Amino acid sequence: MSILTKPTDSGLVEPLPVGTPQKSAWQRYRWILWVVVLGAALAFPYVVDRPRFWIPNIGIKSLWLGTIAMSLVFLNRYVGLLSLAQMTLAGIAAYGVGYMVVTLDQSVFLAVPVGILVGTVAGFLVALIAARTKAIYFLMITLAIGQVVYSFASQSIEVTNARRGLAPIPRPDLGVVDFTQLHIFYYGALAAAVLCYLLCRYVAATSFGLALQGIRDSPERMSALGYNVNRYRIAAMTFTAFIASIGGVIMVFDRAQVDPDVVSLSSTLDILVVAVIGGVGSLGGVFIGGIVLTLLDNFAQNVTERYMTLTGLVFIVVLLFAPTGLAGVGKQVVRALSTRRRAPQAPTAPDVPTPPGITDPSNERKQQ
Amino acid sequence: MTLNTKRTAFAAASAGAGLVLLLAGCAPAGTGGDSGGDSGDGGSDTIKIGVLATSEGNLAFGMGEAKAAIGVAMEARGGTVDGGEVGGKKVEFVYEGTDGTSGSAQTKVKKLVENDGVDIVFGPVSGDEGEAVVQYALTTPDITFVNGSASPVSMTLEGAENFFRFHGDSAMWMGGLGDYAYNDKGYKKIYSIAEDYSFPYDNAGGFFSEFCAAGGEVNGNSWVPVGTTDYATILSQIPADTDAVYVGLGGADAASFLSQAVTAGVNKPLVGGSIAVDTTALSGDANIGQAAIGTITGGPVPGADYDNPDWKTFVDAYATQPDAFPSPSIFSILYYNSFESLLLGIEDVKGDLGDGQADLRSALEATSWDSPTGPISMDENRQAVVDNFLVEVAAGDGGALTLTDVSEANGVKQGTTVYDRFDGCP
Repeated sequence: MSILTKPTDSGLVEPLPVGTPQKSAWQRYRWILWVVVLGAALAFPYVVDRPRFWIPNIGIKSLWLGTIAMSLVFLNRYVGLLSLAQMTLAGIAAYGVGYMVVTLDQSVFLAVPVGILVGTVAGFLVALIAARTKAIYFLMITLAIGQVVYSFASQSIEVTNARRGLAPIPRPDLGVVDFTQLHIFYYGALAAAVLCYLLCRYVAATSFGLALQGIRDSPERMSALGYNVNRYRIAAMTFTAFIASIGGVIMVFDRAQVDPDVVSLSSTLDILVVAVIGGVGSLGGVFIGGIVLTLLDNFAQNVTERYMTLTGLVFIVVLLFAPTGLAGVGKQVVRALSTRRRAPQAPTAPDVPTPPGITDPSNERKQQ
Repeated sequence: MTLNTKRTAFAAASAGAGLVLLLAGCAPAGTGGDSGGDSGDGGSDTIKIGVLATSEGNLAFGMGEAKAAIGVAMEARGGTVDGGEVGGKKVEFVYEGTDGTSGSAQTKVKKLVENDGVDIVFGPVSGDEGEAVVQYALTTPDITFVNGSASPVSMTLEGAENFFRFHGDSAMWMGGLGDYAYNDKGYKKIYSIAEDYSFPYDNAGGFFSEFCAAGGEVNGNSWVPVGTTDYATILSQIPADTDAVYVGLGGADAASFLSQAVTAGVNKPLVGGSIAVDTTALSGDANIGQAAIGTITGGPVPGADYDNPDWKTFVDAYATQPDAFPSPSIFSILYYNSFESLLLGIEDVKGDLGDGQADLRSALEATSWDSPTGPISMDENRQAVVDNFLVEVAAGDGGALTLTDVSEANGVKQGTTVYDRFDGCP
């Protein structure tokens, strides 16, 4: 031990670089990862063999599933609320667009903003009721509101045309941008999804986002500091309703129709499955979840006729072996590798003094 | 820190937007608009048929029934459910299961057409799916669509020239019953209770339009949500002078309605919607069974005593199929009639799908054959003109209930009305 405390060159200089380059390497790695992912997403329509199948069934659907699930993840990660109403809000936005286009025969220039507005306002109204509760009660209230909307959508002939729904809602040709072309609609959806992601990241980093995280960690303390916890929660839910509505608008143009199916319980659960498979702590991971779900949806039947069972099994496997979702797998692997790399060092050299930066337990915790 | 994030975000957003605009300029092969798949290869020796049926959800047996129907038709030609030879061409099947929802049907039909490259789509099962598939058919004119068992009236009124339905819609399933109720049964006033969604609108609409035209009167309508268990308030609304009650409820709901009606002492004759009379559900209780006797209903399924050699041949062939029910369900009958019509069309053109399948479509438009449930011909909307069966609940062996044929309505044609929820006469 006396050797350790002795100020030698190897003892003092080494610990510092050990900590710093590791962190920056991880960050550089993340940037490369993002570039690769974005590159892959941009190249996607050009590399698949049957673009007219892959772009809508896998690409665009993953994007809207992901965007809606991202709103759920934002609420869960930064506010600590698990909402099952996100798909409902997206569906309300979709109905808004459908009502404007089909029933009122309006242009999409008006329909899209109205759809997003309707979804966002609906989110605000849901928040007024639900924000007073937390945890399981919040989950149940949002689920119940979703079911109310489903019943309404299935029966209101005047507004939603009941079970028949509203159709057709064609993708628009805006002159400069022709969304009737599948790949252009895909890039539009991709741009919207990326912007939603950046907006979520930005909002999380503002003082508003920091206050939300404070509320998540200790609502009582934030309340004591003078923050109106309820108002913050309502604002956060309204914001996520806006994100979900954007997902809903992509969805309605992808499906070219809207019917009660979009606000049904199974659609709500799809969003939850996407969020959990991707990782409920990761804003970007939802898109991995979306891709996994759409791939299962389309190809699980090549393996078994009971394709929903397979989806359920994948869900359970992810929960068991990757509790942080597929987005957390990378970190899990890195951690597993680093512990294995470190593990053999300990028994082989128990007496040899190692630099303090590595063996100090408190330091180790900080690195993780 | 905030400023930094802002700047990075802005840079990333503008870079992304730039790339999107750049890439959008040049389209990948075969994505221009929604104008059909790339599978219209008329010269090929194989005809690929994509089959859509429900394999999940409460209609999960749909796939088994579809396969039984295809099995019957293919085995008669020396083939199997996996394929065979029709009209000198090899026929292959791609089966896709759905869960009965429109979203699922949209995904799967796109997969069949765009990924599996089928020439013909055969299906789907449920009405929700059917409306979604018709919308898709409108965007893919190169593919021919043959309906499975979806029955909304609107499907063949959308103007999809590549979409064919070889069975009646849900309004036609009541064809002849309104007249029969008014003239033969002598019901002048009928109270209507039906579930509140599109199938009962069409089904009840079909019945009451005919009943009212014959001179009948509707003395009240109740629209209830699917799954209603308490009918006390509705039972008390039924006027005393009503001659009969129209029950447009699903099998389980109809059984609980009837049990409460028996308890409440409401003893009116019943007219059932096409899915109301489930003899298994009604046989459970002797009192209810007794009350159900005499209920008349209509639909594409003949009664137990239906006398037609083609029907007997079909029932026997159906019984040899794996996973067959004791008797064919409505789904296997409709899938069989539709699929046999399609195969006859393919044989007619000797498997030639060239010229955007124009010859095949002309052959299908000219379809005319004697199906197990009577003659099938087509109208100008590519919708079949069919026979419809009027059946009555009767006591069978050992207290169980059966359905007996009381009448047949021949050559029932589709109307042009898509029914919505209505008060009084539609």
